[in-house]
Amino acid sequence: MALINLKINGEEKSLEVDGQTPLLWALRDHLEMTGTKFGCGIAQCGACTVMLDGAAARSCTIPVEAVEGVEITTIEGLSPDNSHPLQKAWLNMNVPQCGYCQSGMLMSAAALLKENPNPTDEDIDGAIDNICRCGTYLRVRAAIHQAAKSGA
Amino acid sequence: MNEFVSLTRRNLIISASAFAGGLAIGVSPARAAFSDSNPWAGADEPLEFTSWLAIQPDGEVIVRVTMPDIGNGVMTQIPMTINEELRADWSKIRAEYADTNRDFRENRVYSKVEGRTGYFSGRSTATERTQTALQVGASARERLKAAAAEVWGVSAKDVEAENSILTHKPTGRTLTYGDVAEAASRVQLASEPAPKPRSEWDTLTKVSRSKLQDPMLVNGSATYGIDVNVPDKVYAALKQVPVHGGRLKGFNKAAIMDMLGVLDVVVVDPDEPRKEMSVEAPYPLFFSTAQAAVAVIAEHYWQAKTALDALPVEWDLGAGTQWTSNEKVKSTALGVIQTEGKVSLAEGDAPKAIAEAQKVFEQDYYSGYADQAALEPLNGTALVAKDRVDVWMPTQHTELAHIVAAQEADVELTDVYMHQTFIGGAFGRRYFSDDTRMVVAVAKKFPGRPVHTIWSREETMSQGRYRPMSAVKIKAGVSDDGYPTSFLVRLASNGQQDQYLKDSPYTGGGAIPSIQVEQHFLPLNFLVGAYRGPFYNTNAFVMESFVDELAHESGIDPLDYRLKLLEPWADPGWANLLQKLAQRAGWGESLPAGQGMGIAIGNFGYNGEPQKGTTAAAVARVEVSKSGELKVLQLDVGADPGTILNPDAFETQLYGATLFGLNMALLEEMDIENGVVVSDNFDTYPMLRLRDIPENIRTHLDVTSGHERMGEAGEPPVGPVAPALANAIFQATGKRIRSLPFRKVDLSWG
Repeated sequence: MALINLKINGEEKSLEVDGQTPLLWALRDHLEMTGTKFGCGIAQCGACTVMLDGAAARSCTIPVEAVEGVEITTIEGLSPDNSHPLQKAWLNMNVPQCGYCQSGMLMSAAALLKENPNPTDEDIDGAIDNICRCGTYLRVRAAIHQAAKSGA
Repeated sequence: MNEFVSLTRRNLIISASAFAGGLAIGVSPARAAFSDSNPWAGADEPLEFTSWLAIQPDGEVIVRVTMPDIGNGVMTQIPMTINEELRADWSKIRAEYADTNRDFRENRVYSKVEGRTGYFSGRSTATERTQTALQVGASARERLKAAAAEVWGVSAKDVEAENSILTHKPTGRTLTYGDVAEAASRVQLASEPAPKPRSEWDTLTKVSRSKLQDPMLVNGSATYGIDVNVPDKVYAALKQVPVHGGRLKGFNKAAIMDMLGVLDVVVVDPDEPRKEMSVEAPYPLFFSTAQAAVAVIAEHYWQAKTALDALPVEWDLGAGTQWTSNEKVKSTALGVIQTEGKVSLAEGDAPKAIAEAQKVFEQDYYSGYADQAALEPLNGTALVAKDRVDVWMPTQHTELAHIVAAQEADVELTDVYMHQTFIGGAFGRRYFSDDTRMVVAVAKKFPGRPVHTIWSREETMSQGRYRPMSAVKIKAGVSDDGYPTSFLVRLASNGQQDQYLKDSPYTGGGAIPSIQVEQHFLPLNFLVGAYRGPFYNTNAFVMESFVDELAHESGIDPLDYRLKLLEPWADPGWANLLQKLAQRAGWGESLPAGQGMGIAIGNFGYNGEPQKGTTAAAVARVEVSKSGELKVLQLDVGADPGTILNPDAFETQLYGATLFGLNMALLEEMDIENGVVVSDNFDTYPMLRLRDIPENIRTHLDVTSGHERMGEAGEPPVGPVAPALANAIFQATGKRIRSLPFRKVDLSWG
């Protein structure tokens, strides 16, 4: 057990946890922030995507002790009121089906737009590597374009 | 009036009189106690009009929905259907799940509608359901008008209801629905109003609605099964015997009890006696049989998983280890269909017709096991206390899960409280409720605290209830004109059934007068279940590949060939769909070398009857390089459900099911080693990602027959995708694909 100090969505959080616990489970289980999802546990599916210092990362394989001092952004931090341009576009285009992968999709998309405010189809295809079993892919891509146009 | 409408009326009266007597049928105690875990947490004691509908004094309309929403929008469709008649302000409508405990306490008040699919996660547009919803809306609207008329001392005939506002037309006075909700809930009408004729609908079929839950899905606030947070909860990490059907020999609990957070190690015993259930379950409880397992219980999930990984366990793996590889299963199954099986259908004398035919043509097809691969791993939470069991499940059939929970915990049905959560995908996996059984089986060994059992991804996929493996032979007697006169179909599997083999429209319509179906049951140990478009998903591949082969053998265009076979079929929607889709796709255009087009059709839900279910067709255009690299250039997919109620929702399902069919065709098969399913995560069971999606997938909603039925959207399109692609690949390369998935087939040519 160790005392870990994290900065999540601009807030300081402390938790007593085994430092090897993946960031995903520290968020979900110790901090009760369940918007970040467990999908595969091996960084394949992207359901657990968060931003670390603004870059997309898969929280299921990152030990919590490795992200002390890093700015962590989760889906809860994208916007509290669905006002982020990506969330607006997602709602406008009825993107989600079951919705389970969408937190990760949105965080991957947010990281992409931070780095590249006007991505091409190819840029999006390269950056959004998340799995969606329901098949929302083309609406995801269209919504990212729409958000980019509105100035994410 | 048919039976269920009178049922609805009875409900309305029962509910109204209950209120009049001061006996409120309020929310269940479970919901009140655990409101934070209920994604649609109810308000206290809403003003019920019927068990299906309540309206609050602030105007909020609460619609009770039986069907768990698996992303298909069923939770939005029912409110839409009700509101065609209710005329409430859409922004005031909220959906919540209909309590199964109440269903059992109140004489199946909910599950009477649509019977065994009453609490199933699909078919929100099924006939009884739609008629019930329209009646509920109309009856509530007339009560609101009557209550407003009473306030004003006028005739209800002069009151108009629209957008949650009641207007007295002669004077322009207004009241809101909320203003009169309480009085309206007590109104007794002399007779229930008839819903308006379909020709007067002005929202259904015309207006698309996004899912009500969308705002919760884009900010992480929706509560899926895995997000349930109830006070005092502990976690269990689950390990079932690696070879399905095996048994637990022993484990060394002492080795891990000192590990951080570990509370206990418990066992699930499949051989423990379980009580006979007197209630008629919607599907046999056999499908939910427990598997031998150990579970480590700890304060946190990661602690439980880490300790489980360290726990020494010995298994008796059982007979399943004989299935050493995919190849062994495949060769066994393909061998068996060379011999006569048990005849399950004989129409006409197919063996005689084949013996006398000018020509005989036969082919064998094979598909292995495949996993639904829903993105939310299997999981659920249960609190087993004395005489009361609470279960929080992302289940696909709440009523079936409820019955399984009662059996597993050995309590009365009325002592079980199901808390339906959001569901991170299902595709059939969360249907037969083996997941609910395992969750309750673990929790009952740790009573008094809620236990959240989570399968790892590897556990989820190696302990599947798979799309069954199947080997199918079709043998046809063919006459001089190139068309078949008889089919002999032989199927070998441990769970696959013969839908769409025994009842295709080609035989059902009479174009092929005789058919015999024979079946072999193979005693494989791999557990099987429902997978999007059960049975039909791979049988459509078989039938539509075989018919295509016959067309080619006869030198007839595959579209013309199918149209000829469909001529006597009593549902013209099939030919209509094929012709329109072929035209859209550019069927018949000359193509460069290495390109090909293929077509296929199917129907899920029709059971061999015309103008039922949803017919779906696909036309594929592909390019295959000489080295065998496949590129899908264009995929046109259309469906005929009769009538479409919510066009955008239908389109999302049509598109999603097309991608599901594409993934199935190209990629999916479980890999087996010595009885163990080893393709247990997305590194070994690949999924299409955004970069892999063909650009030119075109969905067509304007190719329907306009028939009055409202067929389902989510399953039918899965069928025609694989055969359309395989048929296109044949045209491009001259190579026939007769097994799934294509990634395991060498497509090089020339």
